[in-house]
Amino acid sequence: MPFWRRKDSAALVFLVSGAVWMVVGTFAGLASAIHLVAPDFFANIAWLQFGRVRAAHTGSVLLGFVTAMLIGGAFYILPRVLGTKLYSEPMGNLAALFFNAGVLIGDVALLGGLSQGREYAEYIWPADVLIVIAFLLLSINFITTIIRREEPLLYVSAWYFVGAIIWTSVVYPVGNVMWHPDTGSQSGIIDAIFLWFYGHNILGLLVTPLAVGIGYYMVPRIARAPLYSQMLGIIGFWTLLAFYTHIGAHHLIQAPIPTWLKTVSVIDSFAMMLPVATVLINWWYTARGRFSKFLVNPAAKFLLVGSIWYAITCVQGPVHSLASVQRVTHFNNWVVGHSHIAVLGFTGFIALAGMYYVLPGITGRRIYSEKLVNVQYWLVLVGLIGFFVVLSAAGLIQGQAWLNGATVYRVIPELKAYMVLRLVSGLPIIAGAIIGLYNVIMTLFRGELIES
Amino acid sequence: MRKSDSIIIIGSLMVVFAATLAVVYWPVFTIPNRPSDLWRPLTDLEERGRRLYIANGCTNCHSQYIRPQDWGIGAERISQAGDYYNQRPHLLGSERTGPDLAQEGGEHSDDWHIAHFINPRFTSPRSLMPRFAYEGMDNIKALVAYVQSLGGDDADARMEIQRRFHKEAVAAYERGPDENVKWLHSRVPKTWRAMPSESPATEASVARGEKIYQDFCIGCHGPVGDGNGPAAEHLYPPPLNFTILRRHLVDGKYIGGILYYQIMNGITGTAMPYFKKHLESAKIWDVGNYIMVNFINWRDDQLPTEGIPASYEGKEAAPVSEQPQPGPTEPGRGGAR
Repeated sequence: MPFWRRKDSAALVFLVSGAVWMVVGTFAGLASAIHLVAPDFFANIAWLQFGRVRAAHTGSVLLGFVTAMLIGGAFYILPRVLGTKLYSEPMGNLAALFFNAGVLIGDVALLGGLSQGREYAEYIWPADVLIVIAFLLLSINFITTIIRREEPLLYVSAWYFVGAIIWTSVVYPVGNVMWHPDTGSQSGIIDAIFLWFYGHNILGLLVTPLAVGIGYYMVPRIARAPLYSQMLGIIGFWTLLAFYTHIGAHHLIQAPIPTWLKTVSVIDSFAMMLPVATVLINWWYTARGRFSKFLVNPAAKFLLVGSIWYAITCVQGPVHSLASVQRVTHFNNWVVGHSHIAVLGFTGFIALAGMYYVLPGITGRRIYSEKLVNVQYWLVLVGLIGFFVVLSAAGLIQGQAWLNGATVYRVIPELKAYMVLRLVSGLPIIAGAIIGLYNVIMTLFRGELIES
Repeated sequence: MRKSDSIIIIGSLMVVFAATLAVVYWPVFTIPNRPSDLWRPLTDLEERGRRLYIANGCTNCHSQYIRPQDWGIGAERISQAGDYYNQRPHLLGSERTGPDLAQEGGEHSDDWHIAHFINPRFTSPRSLMPRFAYEGMDNIKALVAYVQSLGGDDADARMEIQRRFHKEAVAAYERGPDENVKWLHSRVPKTWRAMPSESPATEASVARGEKIYQDFCIGCHGPVGDGNGPAAEHLYPPPLNFTILRRHLVDGKYIGGILYYQIMNGITGTAMPYFKKHLESAKIWDVGNYIMVNFINWRDDQLPTEGIPASYEGKEAAPVSEQPQPGPTEPGRGGAR
């Protein structure tokens, strides 16, 4: 049987590509961080210039690493919670091919100076097309799998997985304004509204529900306890959808857009605490009294800590959507700190949790080295905590100084130490990514076979 | 298809569509799509520069919108929706690693920008911006044209002043170094010329001035103040050589007031920018003192004065005359209004 027809081959391709992109993406992050410490380090190397490599960093980690790795987990988990098999492995592999080709072409084009210049939606049109085709293929695959299931109950994880994929099939082309292939944009201030609708929903309607779906699968199994409440899961699903779709404009609180839109975005940002609370209450109550089980299993450790990052992210997020808080935190490194704990802390940790959890089931081999998973866990965690602390502090310094009347140029020297610490904090994360990739590849070929 | 399946698939997609309609398409139909008072279309060269700006990801560090709370960094005009009329894509940006550029047009001279694009450290020693020499001079000129257009009509008004004084400055420079200094002095308001440094040139003041000189001035005026910093080869007229000022002291003794005024307001039309938004008053006096002591080898801060010294000056204060000279206006008459 050719590889692309084999059971769980699509899941495997997505997981391994995610592990590869984690290495690529974190190196792009390293190159960006070096610029902020030593701006002449890559002097006149066009493709390593900050503005280009920074966009390649966000594209690689957000889509290439986190999204792909979460989809890989979903490919494995979806048929299992439905008591059926995946509708089509070849279609899943084709989606992986299109998706990774999209990210690769998008990144290479960015480094070569082809960009649409809209944050998180920088990829040029051909890359967008490949990614949308991938999501349409995923939608067909997931929906048909659901329809063909035997199990009467549709478990919460399946809701979140299917939702994430079909919503993104809509949000991605709309947010990227794909009916204008040359610019990928609307005109004027409207374009900012389109962009941040996309920019926030790619987090809220794609990686968040995928990560939540994986958590809903893993938590009861690791805790060996029934889910605390199926109903809370469903409330969380609908409230996530209802509130998250409205909050993009909180990126534009001081921009010239209608006040009602800003108000809606702030109110819904706070309302977001509701779906987040349903998830965390549900997971933590399911695990109550059994947390020790999470500490002996390295995959579960990633999950537990991912849920804590989720809590921190989603308290911080609503608070700095307030105009009075944004007076200080907007436009500076505070927000960069927030996006790192959201993407790497919450969804990235859960993507890694999902990968290590399902990999033995896919390959029939134990993880090559649990010790290396632990090492990766600590490296990424320490690096990320460093990031969060350093960037939040730097952001407050910038924000307060500007509010005090200091020019941007005057504040740059004050950030020197923080930019150095940020660079240093990134190194363990890169080391973690490399160790993770090594561990995944070794598992595929050298992992100890599991007796069935 | 079971009922629960159709609820998630069709039902949730309907929610997504409803939300898109409410928070994306409703604004599309209700936000007036009109240019603002200062909007103008871009020229072909400026448009080319804009594409290079996008290609190089400049938006990742430079915002293009001035917020209401930006009073300290030049919110002479808070950005309006119409400023972005017809722009595809918008370039509002989300981070300020570098300064906001919404009103950058005409803030600096063209040659300042060229030196700055070739190596930002030439003009701004603490800058974190990458070098853009790899783009080649043709593209750099397009980038400069675009940056000089930011701010629309307001930018054009600033560029008008740049061009007017550029002509004067070039003509003066070409008459020779002494004539150049005479012209520079003549472009300082009279009240500022016969004025000493109003801050004692103490060791501490000169040390503070040195730090500021290194952060702001050294790239053009050079480490020894002779106007041969690394930016100089790209600038015309070139930066001033401070050492010749010794033979151009006003009334044979004053230079502090002129230094202060020119650091504060810049010499628009040349690459010399204004610094009053970067530096508070005391810092401008300090850097003036540093230049005076190190490059002109002259101090005017101890000349007798009528002014009441600042309290901290103590032993360093300039001698104060017992009987102040009567002012130009008589009490009670008032000035011309």
